[in-house]
Amino acid sequence: MLEDSSLLSKLDRMLLPIERFCALLSGLAIFSLMFLAAYSVTGRKFFASPMMGYVDYIEAAMPIIAIMGVSYVQRDGTHIRMDMLVGNLKGRLLWLFELISILLILVLIVALTWGAWEHFDRSFDCARPLCSRDSSIDVGIPIWPSKLVVPIAFGVLVLRLLLQAWGYGRALILGLENPVAVPLNLSIAEQARLEADALEGAD
Amino acid sequence: MEPIEIGIWTSAGLLLMVVLGMRVAFAAGLAGFVGLVWLRWNGFDYDPARFGKSLEISVKIAGLTPHSKVSAQVLSLIPVFIMIGYLAYYAKLTTALFEAAKRWVAWVPGGLAVSTVFATAGFAAVSGASVATAAVFARIAIPEMLKIGYNKQFAAGVVAAGGTLASLIPPSAILVIYAIIVEQDVGKLLLAGFIPGAFSAIVYAILIISIAVVFKNVGPPVSGFTWKERFASLPPAMPIFAVVVIIIFFVYNPFGDAWGTPTEGGAVGAFIVFLMALYRGMRWGQLKEALLETAKLTVMIFTIIWGVLIYVRFLGFAELPEAFADWITSLEMSPLLILICILLAYAVLGMFMDAIGMLLLTLPVVYPAVMALNGGEFVSAADSAFGMSGTMCAIWFGILVVKMAEFCLITPPIGLNCFVVAGVRDDLSVQDVFKGVTPFFVADAVTIALLVAFPGIVLWLPSLAG
Amino acid sequence: TEWNVSVWGKRRAFTEHIEKLAELVSEKTGGDFTMNVSYGGLSKNRENLDGISIGAFEMAQFCAGYHRDKNRVVTVLELPFLGVENLEQERAVSKAVYSHPAAAEEMAQWNAKLLMTSPMPQYNLVGTGEPRDELAEFEGMRVRATGGLGQAFEAVGAVPTSVTATEAYQAMESGVVDTVAFAQHAHLSFGTINQADWWTANLNPGTVNCPVVVNIDAYESLSDEHREALDSSIEEALDHYLANYADLLKRWDSVLEEKGVQKVVLAPEVIEEFRAKAAVPIRDKWIADMEAQGLPGQELYDLVVKTLEEAKMGGS
Ligand code: NA
Ligand code: NA
Repeated sequence: MLEDSSLLSKLDRMLLPIERFCALLSGLAIFSLMFLAAYSVTGRKFFASPMMGYVDYIEAAMPIIAIMGVSYVQRDGTHIRMDMLVGNLKGRLLWLFELISILLILVLIVALTWGAWEHFDRSFDCARPLCSRDSSIDVGIPIWPSKLVVPIAFGVLVLRLLLQAWGYGRALILGLENPVAVPLNLSIAEQARLEADALEGAD
Repeated sequence: MEPIEIGIWTSAGLLLMVVLGMRVAFAAGLAGFVGLVWLRWNGFDYDPARFGKSLEISVKIAGLTPHSKVSAQVLSLIPVFIMIGYLAYYAKLTTALFEAAKRWVAWVPGGLAVSTVFATAGFAAVSGASVATAAVFARIAIPEMLKIGYNKQFAAGVVAAGGTLASLIPPSAILVIYAIIVEQDVGKLLLAGFIPGAFSAIVYAILIISIAVVFKNVGPPVSGFTWKERFASLPPAMPIFAVVVIIIFFVYNPFGDAWGTPTEGGAVGAFIVFLMALYRGMRWGQLKEALLETAKLTVMIFTIIWGVLIYVRFLGFAELPEAFADWITSLEMSPLLILICILLAYAVLGMFMDAIGMLLLTLPVVYPAVMALNGGEFVSAADSAFGMSGTMCAIWFGILVVKMAEFCLITPPIGLNCFVVAGVRDDLSVQDVFKGVTPFFVADAVTIALLVAFPGIVLWLPSLAG
Repeated sequence: TEWNVSVWGKRRAFTEHIEKLAELVSEKTGGDFTMNVSYGGLSKNRENLDGISIGAFEMAQFCAGYHRDKNRVVTVLELPFLGVENLEQERAVSKAVYSHPAAAEEMAQWNAKLLMTSPMPQYNLVGTGEPRDELAEFEGMRVRATGGLGQAFEAVGAVPTSVTATEAYQAMESGVVDTVAFAQHAHLSFGTINQADWWTANLNPGTVNCPVVVNIDAYESLSDEHREALDSSIEEALDHYLANYADLLKRWDSVLEEKGVQKVVLAPEVIEEFRAKAAVPIRDKWIADMEAQGLPGQELYDLVVKTLEEAKMGGS
């Protein structure tokens, strides 16, 4: 991903820490999953005291694990696709394809943000104890916080998609070769190298 | 218009978007969402006044799907399995394994290559993802092989092929995904992967030994390790055995009561590897990096899962899977022949698509058809076409498609493992790796044929688990 | 008119009234009004009420214990040790509660109308090891029981352990739980009976309540003839359900015998002691919670008790 002093690039760099934070939350949630299970098994095996609501807590954490980082992954183009065709395009034609693709995704995500918010809203009613109108099966914890994660994550993704649409649109109009604030179009070989490099330096 | 027609048109649209390079997860989600709107509006006879209502209902159905579908305890296995792989790397289990394999088996013809296959199989037992395995061993094993005069294409091929073993041998993210899509018991599927995974490794080893015997210059044996050296190589690799034992014992304990559920087994295994990584010097910076990488891969996989499930939800309303299953069962061909055609179709599709995307996109339609072919989900072994109960057929087919998906990791033009190996090594081009991996196609074809012909290889372990 | 109906799992005793209803309605309207029953294709079971609220489908089944905060009123039927002895009584008390304005009002918030219940037998325990037939033996017992039932076992020192129904067999085999509370058909279909050494024949700690609801808009937009066909078929569908379940229960004893599962009959004193320790405090807490939220908790509970008495006097 290239950077420069344009407003677009600045906005991109402003959004990045938020996305990174969301992704790290997801990673930490995975990490705590491990401790939760280890704790639950130990409690059960050695102290005959299994953890109450273990399943409910894991289910509540799953949206953080699975969805919170969605924008971070979109930023650097990690979501998989078939790039047999776009991998061979260059210049304006490439930016046109990318722009259409981003706009289609934007349509979907705006719809999903709306729908996910509605899903949250149906489970949320502050006239009730803990604002809860939907609760978990075993220990009855409110579900709305877990449902709220989804529209938040999608909201961030909408911002990211707007920036990418701007970036590709700009590249299309100006006929740029190396636009800023959009994922670089890597060949499979380059991607593989990056993937391998991610594991570098541990030995 | 009939719902099924809408289902077919929308699926064609999905295919087009995927071919044109849209991210698979979002293409599936969009196809599902648009399909829902279309289907609903079709139900209202395209009354313009009721388009808004169609849109609203569809937005709400699609919008609840991501939360609804990811909030399942069994899905927590996927991130845990992915994390084990990253932590195992920091625990330096890879080098330890390769060293142990070398000292124990490198005395056979093609010794280092055989050691590499067994080491990758061992690492598969702590790694849920194939690509990472290939990347790691490209760095450790290829230099050693080149040092004693291996053909470099062959050496690269061994690593690319060995890397594929990670998706059959548990822990395996892809087996978990299959289990979730088809709603089968995760534990039994993981258990079912062990023997075919080990079987694949043995077929690879036999192939290497044969090649080394026939072509003398391919890979000389490496001997001269004393028994003392051999035993000394075992302790650093011990956590692998611990993880294998834990996962087996949590899924199925041959000596009595199992210790817990597979989800717990995965997490406890990860915990042990985490402790090992700490002991071997992993620090916060590396941990944070591992967590971010785990999160990225996890989110990527889950995005496809919920995206595809929006599409699947639409298919449910369009009743397409039922129609496809009816069509398949009405064909005038033997069920086994149809099954083989399906597997071949996966081989072709897999040349162009990522394994997870491929399985997620096709299984919602193909799986019910295969089950119908066998005689239905609840059929008994006696009444079935393939001579196995519905549950067993689900397991068998799962192992077969996952093996197909592994196969696709090494087939041109975009066999990901080959690109990874070439990416790690400056002195190797992708063409080199593809050339070197060619003999392993044969090995994989033999393995798949045997798994089809003798389902017992797959089903023996899970049938013990009741 | 074609209605989509969202249920889950596979066709079984638990869904027979819905299948029968679809059949009857179609018959009565000469095929003009049909129902397309989908087993899991349209929604996850815990989102069926959401689906009704959205208008995604017209009819659905769900269980109150899945999400107590969505359906506080009908959870009165899941209180432990209500004393329900058979499916006829379960049907009667459910009908009474469903007809109460508080229940109708709460379901209307989800755009749902309560149509009928899916009467479930009492959730008796299957267990491994020595039979537990004294209260002291429930101490430290790891039991798979959800909702109010879980609370009841907790009150006598047992440890409710959450595993999903599909993991129950595995959990039992692995010793994650010692006992599992299910209705008979679930013990059969989830295989827990295969792991069991014993089954409590008369503990009758309570059950889950699983209503069938329809989307109000869809219901109201039915023609008078179609609505009449639907309304008039409900009791017949339930009769069919009970008859079908009775057959299944008849088979139950032979299943126990075949699998070598011991039938444990608890002494009345033990059950009474259990009830006093578990049922009373949970019931009192439930009533207090409901009243605090402005729901007629006491009235609902009294309604259940009264209806049950009448049903028992009426010979069912
Ligand atoms: Na693996
Ligand atoms: Na490929």
